Amino acid sequence: MEIKFSIRRHDPMDGENPGPYYREYIVDAEEGMTVLEALLKISEEEDPTLAFRRSCRSAICGSCAMTVNGFARLTCSLQVIPEYQKMGAMRIEPLSNHRTIKDLVVDMAPFWEKMEKVAPFLMPAGGSEGNPVSIEDQAGIDESQRCIMCGCCNAECNSLEIDERFIAPAASAKAWRFVGDVREGHRGKRLERLSEEHGIWDCVRCIHCTQYCPKDVKPLKQIESLRSAAMKEGVLDNPGARHVEAMADSVERFGRLDEAAMTFRTLGFLRSVGMIPLGLRLEKHGKMPHPYIFPQIMEIDEVRAVYDEIEKKYGLKPKKEG
Amino acid sequence: MIIGAGLAGMRAAIEAARNGLDTALVTKVYPVRSHSVAAQGGMNAALKETDSWEAHAFDTVKGSDWLGDQDAIEVMCSEGPGDILELEGMGAIFNRDSRGHIAQRPFGGAGYPRTCYLADRTGHALLHVMYEQVLKHGVFIYDEWHVTRLVIEGGKVSGVIAMELDTGKLHRLRSKSVIMATGGYGRVYRTTTNALSSTGDGLGLALSAGLPLMDMEFVQFHPTVLKRTGILMTEGARGEGGFLLNSLGERFMEKYAPKVKELASRDVVSRAEQTEIEEGRGVEGCVLLDLRHLGADTIKSKLSQIRELAMNFAGVDPIEAPVPVKPGAHYSMGGIPADIDCQTEIPGLFAAGECACVSVHGANRLGGNSLLEAVVFGRRAGKRASEYADSTELVAFPDSALRDAANEVAEILRRDEGERVYALRDEMAGVMEEHCGIFRNRERLGKGLEQIREIKERHRRAALADRGDRFNAELLHIIELGSMLDASEAILVSALHREESRGSHFRTDFPKRDDSKWLKHTLVRKRGNDFTVGYKDVKITRFKPEERKY
Ligand SMILES: Cc1cc2nc3c(=O)[nH]c(=O)nc-3n(C[C@H](O)[C@H](O)[C@H](O)COP(=O)(O)OP(=O)(O)OC[C@H]3O[C@@H](n4cnc5c(N)ncnc54)[C@H](O)[C@@H]3O)c2cc1C
Ligand code: SF4
Ligand code: SF4
Ligand code: FES
Repeated sequence: MEIKFSIRRHDPMDGENPGPYYREYIVDAEEGMTVLEALLKISEEEDPTLAFRRSCRSAICGSCAMTVNGFARLTCSLQVIPEYQKMGAMRIEPLSNHRTIKDLVVDMAPFWEKMEKVAPFLMPAGGSEGNPVSIEDQAGIDESQRCIMCGCCNAECNSLEIDERFIAPAASAKAWRFVGDVREGHRGKRLERLSEEHGIWDCVRCIHCTQYCPKDVKPLKQIESLRSAAMKEGVLDNPGARHVEAMADSVERFGRLDEAAMTFRTLGFLRSVGMIPLGLRLEKHGKMPHPYIFPQIMEIDEVRAVYDEIEKKYGLKPKKEG
Repeated sequence: MIIGAGLAGMRAAIEAARNGLDTALVTKVYPVRSHSVAAQGGMNAALKETDSWEAHAFDTVKGSDWLGDQDAIEVMCSEGPGDILELEGMGAIFNRDSRGHIAQRPFGGAGYPRTCYLADRTGHALLHVMYEQVLKHGVFIYDEWHVTRLVIEGGKVSGVIAMELDTGKLHRLRSKSVIMATGGYGRVYRTTTNALSSTGDGLGLALSAGLPLMDMEFVQFHPTVLKRTGILMTEGARGEGGFLLNSLGERFMEKYAPKVKELASRDVVSRAEQTEIEEGRGVEGCVLLDLRHLGADTIKSKLSQIRELAMNFAGVDPIEAPVPVKPGAHYSMGGIPADIDCQTEIPGLFAAGECACVSVHGANRLGGNSLLEAVVFGRRAGKRASEYADSTELVAFPDSALRDAANEVAEILRRDEGERVYALRDEMAGVMEEHCGIFRNRERLGKGLEQIREIKERHRRAALADRGDRFNAELLHIIELGSMLDASEAILVSALHREESRGSHFRTDFPKRDDSKWLKHTLVRKRGNDFTVGYKDVKITRFKPEERKY
């Protein structure tokens, strides 16, 4: 089956024709051919100047992630014909949220730097040597252990798109790999650092990372594990944790979210004042929450009963310091 | 300085850093992309009281068809258990049994279930742990730097020359000691389990630096790889109880290895499959790997990656149907000869992992022994190379080395017209598959050698379509192809000379093992454009040669 590939070419260092522009190639795709195989065919038989990374061709080394028809995909495990039939096109671009070096090769340095930021190695607690990780203990971190560092999640991350310093999903999942390890000795320190600005609380929970991860690492789920671990550990002095606390309090008191009051508690007085222009704009469009209209829902007792039950069962309510 | 950031290279780097040395890794792919990441089945070590390292050593010697050096095998098997525990301390998690002990699965050729694993992602788990430790120890990483030359001055190592992929610039990197850990050469064959980056670069570098290569005729063909892509279905699949069937639905291994059947050593199973296929009992050039009777639970929990690979790359769900598989080139037993401290013939130059030949695998490697080799000898190389570096001065780096390397690249880029690199590579891989596969004879090997030499000639005149500086894969590949052709020639020459059958090397014209003449290692060297052949004794300590039967 002949399929037209449209590939984004870009060589920022090329003085004459840097691009970006799209070039088309016709590939005779056989049954089972992967997108990576098609790219190899193009570069080996037609245009060797096309640059892209590859190595294992079996979905385990993480080299070959690219944007295919608008989404981050691992090209060596994506078959050409079904993808083409589903999308009606075959458009190949470099990963988003990363600077292009050449064609489909992106600069992964920021990706590795984020990894290094989370101190991605076990710092065992004294006396944990020879302390086996039981089957159950392993289950809690197994998903995070599957990561192949391909970058698909970071490429699709909405928070990373607006804040390049955001720790982003891949490194967060890696962080949970250690925070969630029973042998780890620096859980608290790690959680404190992860709760700083640009950390785990900056995720807007768009769930893209989980959706586009080819290895089912579920980074968002690991971020949520980190958040609740941080709150349990008493790491509460940051906007994210305060936001969750405010949310929980608001629901407990009124049975609903008091969003204006939450902003105040999350950001504190001075930074809330900074939100006034946003508030005015929200007001103008009729989107400003009005807490004073229904301060409390009718069935508030039922809500509180739920809270009590949770408290009894899991003791999840964050401990306040002091 | 360590060339290669697979399991062996990174383990060496950690050891050197622990010894307080200023350590760097130079690697053509980012460390976690190294092909160790693809290892599935596991890593051997005698951990249980009812097992012993001596038993492991015996199985290894027997697996090697008595060609492995027993001093090295003793080192590996006796130190292995310590390394497993150390890996756990570093953060690795091996699967546990119900009593909390490290679980061990049976593997081919082993008399005891001693393969430790993390599901079917052992290599991935270990490589990532090693990478974590490399970061922890502050090892410097020159990633996406492709080494094109070893620089030897006055008979001692003085450093390397490497091309930075991002700019195309050549750099000189000086070091008191250099460890080679560049992995395998599977890509010289058409059907291979190896990554696109497993091009045997280290072997080419070694030959050009005047080092010999040892036991290159011994190429392991893995019995269960997917037909079109060569992607591996781990031996763990048979370890967990999988069957091999022919077109008549027979468990044909009962004929070839009545006692252990599917768990005979790899060379035995691969030959059996090839025989079934050649005698007309195959299924479209394959045999069938049947896992259905293991049940969905076992397959999903212990062989989940295998299931995914079979579904994605062969369109078969092993829970529902048997997977068509065939033998494919998998592992290089041969390589750069090195002693038990990984020292090569050149002072200051060490070799570890798959590119080295210590030799623990002899004529055939047991599954699960090469991750072990990479870790044990990576560590030992790191230690010895540190001691060496501490006791020596930096050797001068000749100016001419960089100039020569640059001229070589410029010469390639100047060629206007010539054949395409990739076409030549395909031809080479075809020749090796046809003429130097599982069944060999003088005539086939002779023809293969002729053809490889002819392709070598054409390679010297091949030209590039990409003249750019940055991420020029074609330029790198013409260099890689040079190494692959050298490795091919070394394999063919060694295979042609060894007139016996031993381990993975099977000569239909000499079907018997012949200890009186051939209980020795083959050494080939490159002199100009020719290869010369020599031999070296096998070290035998405790196990006298006997017949190898499964
Ligand atoms: C699919 C598969 C499954 C396997 N499963 C098992 C198993 O279950 N158990 C087992 O024991 N063994 C297994 N093996 C074998 C084992 O994985 C390898 O032998 C071992 O991982 C090799 O490790 P290494 O460190 O020597 O090389 P690799 O991991 O291959 O690393 C080579 C390194 O060298 C670098 N390099 C190469 N050339 C250059 C150059 N010119 N310049 C710079 N850098 C360079 C690469 O970038 C890479 O970092 C398997 C092998 C394969 C292919
Ligand atoms: S859920 Fe959070 S981390 Fe994941 S992609 Fe969205 S913003 Fe990024
Ligand atoms: S979490 Fe998934 S998408 Fe992100 S880097 Fe790891 S494997 Fe890739
Ligand atoms: S090439 Fe390794 S993950 Fe695709």
